[in-house]
Amino acid sequence: MKNPIFDIENWREIGATLAQNKTRTFMTAFGIFWGTAILALLIGGSEGLKHFMRRNFEGFATNVAVIFPQRTTKSHAGFNKGMRVELNTQDVTNIRRAIPQIENSSAIIFQWANVMYGQKKKNAQLTGVESRYDRIFEPIIFEGRFINEADDANLRKVCVIGKEVAKELFGSDKAVGKEIDINGIYYKVIGVVGQTSVINIGASMDESVFIPSNSMRQSYNLGDKVHNFMMTLKSGYAPRDFEPIVRRLISNNHPIAPDDRGAIFYFDVSEQFKMVDNIFLGISLLAIFVGVGTLLSGVIGVGNIMWIIVRERTHEIGIRRAIGAKPRDIIIQILSESMVLTTIAGIAGIVLAAFILGGAEMMTKPVKFQLTFSQSVEILMTFLLLGTAAGIIPAVKAMKIKPVEALNDK
Amino acid sequence: MIIELKDINKSYPGVVPLHVLKDVNLSIEKGELVSIMGASGSGKSTLLNILGILDNYDTGEYRLDGVLIKNLGENRAADLRNYMIGFIFQSFNLINYKNAIENVALPLFYRGVSRKKRNLLAMEQLERMGMSDRATHLPSELSGGQKQRVAIARALITNPSILLADEPTGALDSKTSREVMQVFRDLNSEGRTIVIVTHDPGVGEQTNRIIRISDGRITD
Repeated sequence: MKNPIFDIENWREIGATLAQNKTRTFMTAFGIFWGTAILALLIGGSEGLKHFMRRNFEGFATNVAVIFPQRTTKSHAGFNKGMRVELNTQDVTNIRRAIPQIENSSAIIFQWANVMYGQKKKNAQLTGVESRYDRIFEPIIFEGRFINEADDANLRKVCVIGKEVAKELFGSDKAVGKEIDINGIYYKVIGVVGQTSVINIGASMDESVFIPSNSMRQSYNLGDKVHNFMMTLKSGYAPRDFEPIVRRLISNNHPIAPDDRGAIFYFDVSEQFKMVDNIFLGISLLAIFVGVGTLLSGVIGVGNIMWIIVRERTHEIGIRRAIGAKPRDIIIQILSESMVLTTIAGIAGIVLAAFILGGAEMMTKPVKFQLTFSQSVEILMTFLLLGTAAGIIPAVKAMKIKPVEALNDK
Repeated sequence: MIIELKDINKSYPGVVPLHVLKDVNLSIEKGELVSIMGASGSGKSTLLNILGILDNYDTGEYRLDGVLIKNLGENRAADLRNYMIGFIFQSFNLINYKNAIENVALPLFYRGVSRKKRNLLAMEQLERMGMSDRATHLPSELSGGQKQRVAIARALITNPSILLADEPTGALDSKTSREVMQVFRDLNSEGRTIVIVTHDPGVGEQTNRIIRISDGRITD
């Protein structure tokens, strides 16, 4: 049985027909080429834009709540309004006990510090953190490790320094294992970190020095002070759901009016991410809208050209039918021509888009614009499918012409 | 009896329907060389198209080699055209971007014959027509007589029951016409059934039987 795919004559015929009318072939091919290129650029571009924006939040857990104490806005229990609220370790214990849905949390204390190594000096933000801080605010670890539970529990004099601090103090030398002076007390460097995201709480990680929170409280006589408290929730729980309980716990522990919302700032990061998600959705919708339009005009173009091809070749179709071609043979022939054209022009379009996206990628390193292989194949398949569908109508119409009429068509 | 027409009627619809074939009865024996002659508009081309299953008729019966040709589906009609009929046209109807051997081999392509075998058989036919040295020429590089030989080779390659020729010499000069007619007579002497439609009495004379058609009726 004949199979048109394995018959070289079928392929030669396609080649011959396409080469026969170079202008027509070129115009159709260009339409498809342009369509696929635009579609590929659109998809790559919107993905790149998303990646570009998402990069701002990399290394930052999305279901984070940060509790910042403020000043009271109402007088309560004999205290005037305007009193500065200070959290303490009791608040941290209370919150942790009351909310088992917390996944990771850390009390945080800040202080500006002079960091010294030999003759070299640097001003940095000294941050006292608990061991799980790096799960909430994931750093890039250049050297060594982050602070762990044992460091905090045993009040170890160890520190993790930001990469800018390390550069200032040690240049290109290894920092881990060295002892540095932080506000007059020596700590051993156990790690060098950098910041992944653009989000900051306080100073950038690059410019910070981290020490265990318990060591910090003890070394600098900070008592049970906590500057703010960060927590992430187990999956399935939203930070927003725990705002009332956190407020109640803190106001019970301090002279704060239960309805004094201004006393505590409960920063729900996931709310911020929702807005970003909406922007992403908008970008995707725009890409889809323009993409569908491009596809549609490309497909209509192919259908149009196929119609002209069929009209021009009516006489030839008549000859073929007189010598025994079945309608199916003719339809396969016409469709395979449009498929070959679509495939070649489509691949060329995607290659062009890949070059342009590659260029964009080089300029905006390390944002990723490039299409994946499967995305390219999907674009190509969509065009192939729709292009073929568009060719079916003219091909079937051609079959409605009787052989006699086709033969008389000159 | 290879061709048998019984009371064939055919009219083209329109505001005033055109009745082109009126109760046509005709039978052609196997091995005959027949010409159908008539003025233009007499219905001879319509008759040939019906014989060649390119067109259908309204009433009557047409049997080709015993097969009733009536209300056939497109696929069945295509098969019968391929297996039983060889066409030769006035304007040759070669496909202009295919060379001689590809044109000759085309009917076998639709029969599902492998390319190798197709080309072998096509070459044989071209040799019979004395055209083997022109096998790779495009139709535009051939003279009228050469094109018609290629067309005849294409009609013969499927070994059809009948050859139908529509004004086969209409586009040729008198010398080439004679050569082409000689080809038909040679083929006839080998036992082929050939029906030639023509308005040229010179062509009609060279056939064994002339069927005259006038105003949609067979006159003798």
